[in-house]
Amino acid sequence: MIKLDVDDMNRFIGRYSLGRDSNPLNPTGSPHFLRIKIPGGFIDSSQLRSVADLTKTYSRGQAEITNRQDIQLHWIDATDALEIFSVMDELGFTTDMCGQGFSGARYGDARNIVCCPVSGLEKDELLNGTSLLKELSDFFIGNPDFQDMPRKFKFSITGCGYDCTRAITNDLSFVAVKKNDDVGFTLLIGGSMGASLPGPRLATPTGVFVQTEDAFNVAVATIEIHRDYGSRESKAKARFKWLLHNWGLKKFLSTLEEKVGKHLELYNGPVFLRDGGHERIQPQSQEGYYYVNVPCIGGYISCDEMISLADLADKYGNGDLRLTPSQNLIIPNVEQKDLLLKDLKKIGISIQGSKLRWNSMGCASEFCGKTTTPHAKEISKEIVYHLERHIDNELLNAAGFRIYVSGCHNNCCANLIAEIGLAGNLTRENGVMKQYYSILLGGGFGKKPSMGRRIEENIPTDKLKLMIESLLSNYFEKRKTSESLKEFCNKSTIKELKLYLNSKGG
Amino acid sequence: MKNSDIQRIGKGRYSLDVRGQVCPYPELLTLRALQNLSPEDTLEIILDNPPSVKDIPIAIEKRGYKKPEVMRVDKGTWKIIVQNPK
Ligand code: SF4
Repeated sequence: MIKLDVDDMNRFIGRYSLGRDSNPLNPTGSPHFLRIKIPGGFIDSSQLRSVADLTKTYSRGQAEITNRQDIQLHWIDATDALEIFSVMDELGFTTDMCGQGFSGARYGDARNIVCCPVSGLEKDELLNGTSLLKELSDFFIGNPDFQDMPRKFKFSITGCGYDCTRAITNDLSFVAVKKNDDVGFTLLIGGSMGASLPGPRLATPTGVFVQTEDAFNVAVATIEIHRDYGSRESKAKARFKWLLHNWGLKKFLSTLEEKVGKHLELYNGPVFLRDGGHERIQPQSQEGYYYVNVPCIGGYISCDEMISLADLADKYGNGDLRLTPSQNLIIPNVEQKDLLLKDLKKIGISIQGSKLRWNSMGCASEFCGKTTTPHAKEISKEIVYHLERHIDNELLNAAGFRIYVSGCHNNCCANLIAEIGLAGNLTRENGVMKQYYSILLGGGFGKKPSMGRRIEENIPTDKLKLMIESLLSNYFEKRKTSESLKEFCNKSTIKELKLYLNSKGG
Repeated sequence: MKNSDIQRIGKGRYSLDVRGQVCPYPELLTLRALQNLSPEDTLEIILDNPPSVKDIPIAIEKRGYKKPEVMRVDKGTWKIIVQNPK
């Protein structure tokens, strides 16, 4: 027997891993990705500068903000990993464990915990979820009891009254609510946009009220239920939603109560109070301070941008920054917002434009190799700019919609719950792979969540923006006063919507 | 780390079991194990992480080794056989 010296690796095992990018169709040549977990998207200027350094050295100067508030780097070589992990260890960041490469229902971990990006800042916030975020994130880092679950598990926490974390797509979401004079959480469970059984599901409201001091135990008991009772028969049956589908809500809640040793109070009030997000510049609950939400359509962010934004967070704020679940970046605690806007303009960042700049996302399809060009992020950007050029921005804002683009039907970018969702498919034609998209309409989340309906299929990418423009001009012409695009789409038949997509108004 | 020892399984033939390890560890362990063996020794790597089944042969070939043999042992397990150069 030869003993290998692996002390340098042992430090990182269980806390750090790389994902694999190199798929036969991936044109980028990136072998691996590094998904840096940033719990709740909380990062400070010096940490962001260090991530920018990593990006410059290992990732061709380019990174992306994911829709779970991580920062993802590509072009990572396995042989550089230990050096990168050391830097991350000093920064206090870890990675997803990327166990989904294994063929069986194994090695699932708790993913980056998503939290309202303006926790502690929002004016009408019910509850600041960051202490629960921190307690849970610390608990799961390197915790061997939660690294071999049937599959991954996703938490979200929000206390601002909006569904800014897309709570309905998570396995377990804590949503702050008020019950009489008490503020605590209600729970949504079993959400998932992926195709695994029983198919895409919006998280179910549980109708329970959890006191803040019980939230940690409820979270751990729920993930233990997933770990201990989730199916390991196959990957397709291994997400928490399948267990819930088989058990039903009643059995889940009684098991949860048994595990936490407490009867959970009932809650029958509203889950979300408001629709919308945290776009542009908003006054904070701290008098005289603002947060400035910097749009990064598709989540692309370069090394230079990271450094500039870190510098601006130091100059105008207190050095804190927040990544949002809509792939943007917030500079909080700003007093001199107009000066900050001027400086942002100097580095080519504008806070003007329609809300679509904050509300449109694209998946990392260029790296996972399931699509050809143009890729999801480029498509979302192109459509937003096209609509802004052809339709008045105020009208676009009033329509209240988002555009989410996923390169394939895995729905990584939650296209099923966007008012306009695009899902790609590849088809071989005369020996050449051609990229098409389906158009889904009428999804949404917030006060009235819904899944979109598939209206069109096999649409070439260059037609998408024109068809969406056509839909919108029909909507502006035919809508009832104050009817949102989602309401308009959901009252229309598929036949009507096809027509609207394929003919300009009139 | 469990499974970090190289077992001798025959004359000049060794085995490294990296089951349960995610990227990049199977690849890093394989490269390190090869450095610890003598010229012409053979190493059998047993692994269950499909991404590494693709990555390890690429990493080995990039370093001038002969194309390794990749065998499927069962539904979720593979064996990669590589020989150290002279
Ligand atoms: S949706 Fe499809 S193309 Fe996009 S990242 Fe997920 S798997 Fe890749």
